[in-house]
Amino acid sequence: MGKVILEVRELSTKYVTRFGENVYAVDRVSLKVEEGKSLGIAGESGCGKSTLALSLMGYYFAPLHYISGDIIIDGQNISKMHPDEVRRKILGKEIAYIPQAAMNALNPTLKIINFIEDVIHAHDPKVPKKEIHDMARQRFEELGLPAEVLQKYPVELSGGMKQRTVIATSVILSPKVLIADEPSSALDVTSQKMVIKMLKDMMEKGLVKAMIFITHELPLLYNVTDDIMVMYAGQIVEQGTAQQVVFDPLHPYSKGLMGSIIVPESGVRDVKLTAIPGAPPNLKRPPQGCRFADRCKYVQAECRVQSIYMREAANNRAYRCIFPEEQLRKVYQNE
Amino acid sequence: MIHTLRQVFRSGKFVTGFVIFVSLLLIVLIYPLLVPDDPLAIIGLGTFFPPGIYVNVYDSVNVSPYTLNLPDATTKRIADKLGPKERQDMKEFLLAAGIPEEEIDIEDTAKLLDLWEKNYDPNKNIEGMTLAKMRYYQRLNNSLKGLLATEGLIVALPNAQTGQLEQVKVIEQSDYANINEVPNVRVLPLGTDNFGRDVLTELVKAAGVSLQIGFVAGLIATLIGLVLGLLAGYLGGMVDDIIMFFTNLLIVIPSFVLLILISFSIGQDKRGAITIATVIGFTSWVWTARAVRAQVLSLRNRDHVNLSRLSGHSTVYIILNDILPYIMSYVVMALILQISSGILAEAGLSILGLGPRTTEVPTLGLMMNWAMIYQAHVLGKWWAYLPVLVTIALITFSMNLMNTGLDQVFNPALRE
Amino acid sequence: MSKSYLRYFLNKLAWLLVTAVFAFILNFTLPRLMPGDPVAAITARIAQGMSNTTGMKEVYERYAEQFGTNKPIHEQFLIYMKNILQGNFGTSFSQYPRPVADIIRASIVWTIALQFPAIIVGWIIGNALGAMAAYLKKGFDKVLMPISIFVSNFPAFGMAIILMVIFAVNLKWFPTSGGYGYNLIPNFSWEFIWSVIVHYQLPFWSIVLIIIGGQAIGMRSMSIYELNADYVKYARFLGIKDRVIVRYVFRNAMLPQITGLALSIGTMVSGALVAEIVFSYPGLGYTMLNGVMGQDYPLISAVTLIITIMTLIANFLIEILYGIIDPRIKAAQAEEQGG
Repeated sequence: MGKVILEVRELSTKYVTRFGENVYAVDRVSLKVEEGKSLGIAGESGCGKSTLALSLMGYYFAPLHYISGDIIIDGQNISKMHPDEVRRKILGKEIAYIPQAAMNALNPTLKIINFIEDVIHAHDPKVPKKEIHDMARQRFEELGLPAEVLQKYPVELSGGMKQRTVIATSVILSPKVLIADEPSSALDVTSQKMVIKMLKDMMEKGLVKAMIFITHELPLLYNVTDDIMVMYAGQIVEQGTAQQVVFDPLHPYSKGLMGSIIVPESGVRDVKLTAIPGAPPNLKRPPQGCRFADRCKYVQAECRVQSIYMREAANNRAYRCIFPEEQLRKVYQNE
Repeated sequence: MIHTLRQVFRSGKFVTGFVIFVSLLLIVLIYPLLVPDDPLAIIGLGTFFPPGIYVNVYDSVNVSPYTLNLPDATTKRIADKLGPKERQDMKEFLLAAGIPEEEIDIEDTAKLLDLWEKNYDPNKNIEGMTLAKMRYYQRLNNSLKGLLATEGLIVALPNAQTGQLEQVKVIEQSDYANINEVPNVRVLPLGTDNFGRDVLTELVKAAGVSLQIGFVAGLIATLIGLVLGLLAGYLGGMVDDIIMFFTNLLIVIPSFVLLILISFSIGQDKRGAITIATVIGFTSWVWTARAVRAQVLSLRNRDHVNLSRLSGHSTVYIILNDILPYIMSYVVMALILQISSGILAEAGLSILGLGPRTTEVPTLGLMMNWAMIYQAHVLGKWWAYLPVLVTIALITFSMNLMNTGLDQVFNPALRE
Repeated sequence: MSKSYLRYFLNKLAWLLVTAVFAFILNFTLPRLMPGDPVAAITARIAQGMSNTTGMKEVYERYAEQFGTNKPIHEQFLIYMKNILQGNFGTSFSQYPRPVADIIRASIVWTIALQFPAIIVGWIIGNALGAMAAYLKKGFDKVLMPISIFVSNFPAFGMAIILMVIFAVNLKWFPTSGGYGYNLIPNFSWEFIWSVIVHYQLPFWSIVLIIIGGQAIGMRSMSIYELNADYVKYARFLGIKDRVIVRYVFRNAMLPQITGLALSIGTMVSGALVAEIVFSYPGLGYTMLNGVMGQDYPLISAVTLIITIMTLIANFLIEILYGIIDPRIKAAQAEEQGG
């Protein structure tokens, strides 16, 4: 087992709406990412995966609020730190973020290089401009981006170029952990491939030590990440290696989710495509029992009453269900 | 549709605006039923009678009096003529006339009046005293005469034969007339204007006419803007280029200037309220056209529109069924804004003296114009202009609130 | 000046010329569209206003010649353009025999000195307040927004009258009308300058107040929109200080406000003209009122034309400035060139 770079323990966060209602979007999430590994997070839209990405940064601003839990990056617990200390010492340096809609992630009226200056000065105001320019040029070239990009405004860049610029900017301070929230979903196929290759290269070169990759495109996740976690209604419902989760899902929700996609890999092709009926519960008042109960084919009376906890399974896997592994497998086989 | 309406009425801002607006509308509709007077009838002989209840003096003398012994009646009567300011002024005069300060006690009414009677000389010219001040003292002196008298007033009529005055009745100081028994009482809640017209009645009528002007102007402007916007946005190409060229031209040329030029060219005697409304409508459609076009452009290539086009529907059918319903909320918002700006435009024109001709109907702008020409604001006759301003502000404010409310319902991004 | 910016500049300059020509055409045609012989109609109106009978005949002849009604319409337009380009706006009816150009020269300075600073100050204060409302939210926003909505819907003359009643009539801090004391002759004495300053305040602030309301509302929505933009979140997660982010946001929210200023300058000027009228401020608005009162056609025609041209120039200048500060303009131009 490698060195754990990112560890999250029982992290809970919530949204506060403008009517003062709480939406419990991330509920007691725990995870671990080892050095050199990448973790994928999958789920339907609205399941809380993007909120989890934001929550992992350890820096909260309205409408997102921290409730409890710990985020430990390379042995340093950032949940107990003062927000300004997090901003200065952690953000960008230890953990960095690639946003969902990278098209608009750059300030349209600021040249890329000026933005990078601001980023670096936010952590150390004394770095001379010359040094920043050299550093930025070097980093951009290293990642296969032309240095001229630095002198341009975001509007002058194409979509794919913009996204790659965002990625390069995110890792300008060589963060240990990179959190990518749907980094390629808005792009055309060619740009998508370039972005994915860039992310893989960065991991290989050790520019970032660990990565969390969030997407609703499961095939992509399977190709990019080592491990996968499935999220449903703010909770982790299953975790395991990419292979395990995609080809041998245990949780009924994961099962349904994998059934609802086409993975062009051998073995999956014959599986019939299904959609999961129903909608996720309202997270303003999360149900007491299993959150998937209303949509679950195998629901039992007690599912709705008692809290369901993560259950360990063979091969380092875990899932959140009332049934033991063997029983689930039996049920699936009988279908 | 019903769902949308329910959502709209859940917006606090919209409801506030709506309630204000509907109340105004109801007043405009109901008031004339209760007070059917001609709003432009000149009833007052003189300008700017203050608000109040006007009791006919002749009638009140002729009703049979009731005797009420109220202890503070005398005090009130004196205080009305001899307030703190008058006492101070009297003291000033007496000091100037050479009376030592310690002898003057302005609190002691009897003594003060006594001193005044002995020392006041209407012809005395005190140094630095203006003519106006001298007149003021003369008026004050007249009003003080008989202030402390306790006997009543005698009403006398000339004898038909001898021509001599004969006492008809005596009005005692303790005589009261019951206002319900006085046949002629007129309430003027907002007094009269410079022409002697009842401001409230006039104002209600003016608000009605101004709303009409706003509606006509708003409807015309919205209709033109909508049609041009739809054509430009949907047809595109040359049509779009031509329409947008003129729209952009008219956007930079101040519409108020155009209004002035057109209004002046029409001439005073041809300018009716509806003519003005039409002119306003024809000069203020540009923003609507631009906005509608932008909306249509974003709709033009939506799937449902393409589908409709592929199904062989005509352009008119597509515009009416697949585009118009989607921009309706927007058009309603534009209409509300146009109505309110139409009312403001009329007011602005009237202030310049280019409003509707003055003989037929009042409008809010004309009332404002009259009040200003007769210097009501400088003379402190607030009832002639302030209610008008408040009415204009309430109308535009309520419409804008409705608009903001609608905007928040239809553009959730602004909900903060 | 870069090539793309030069292109933008020339584009805007061409547009200025086109709009100016259009303004001339409107100014020329509108009065002629009215039924009847314009000269007869106009001189009939002068008959009520003129006191000088010997002057009247002369005016009629001069006016008929100037209007050139007996000539074909395109020739009439040429005469009109020639006169205007020579600065010849004819002779005033109401202040006969003073040339209109002379009257306008005397009042235009007052209008520019009043409106230009007032619009700028109102725009700056309004935007600052709107930005603060968006950023601070809570109480400040709750108080400022209803007031702004109310104020921006208040008619311009209403604001002027209320300020006048409070500060000039009741408190007597400022005079009620005029551009300087009526007992003074314009000169460079301290007394005169002080009088000008005192007379300046109320018209100035009433224009400023009216503009603040609308600008604050616009800036608030723009800022809220920008504060929720993706780049704000991204910049925060890279550890950039809120202070720097607020600078980004307000700069970006401000840019559309500048375009907004260009587009609404006509409305602002109209409101300001009415404020001038309320205070009998000796600018173009008051001149126009006098023109209307005196049925002075040449004066009104000239004043409306001058106001339009001034607005067009202001609009042009703002667009030019905007092109300098918004990089997106340059990019758009470069793209156009490339594609």
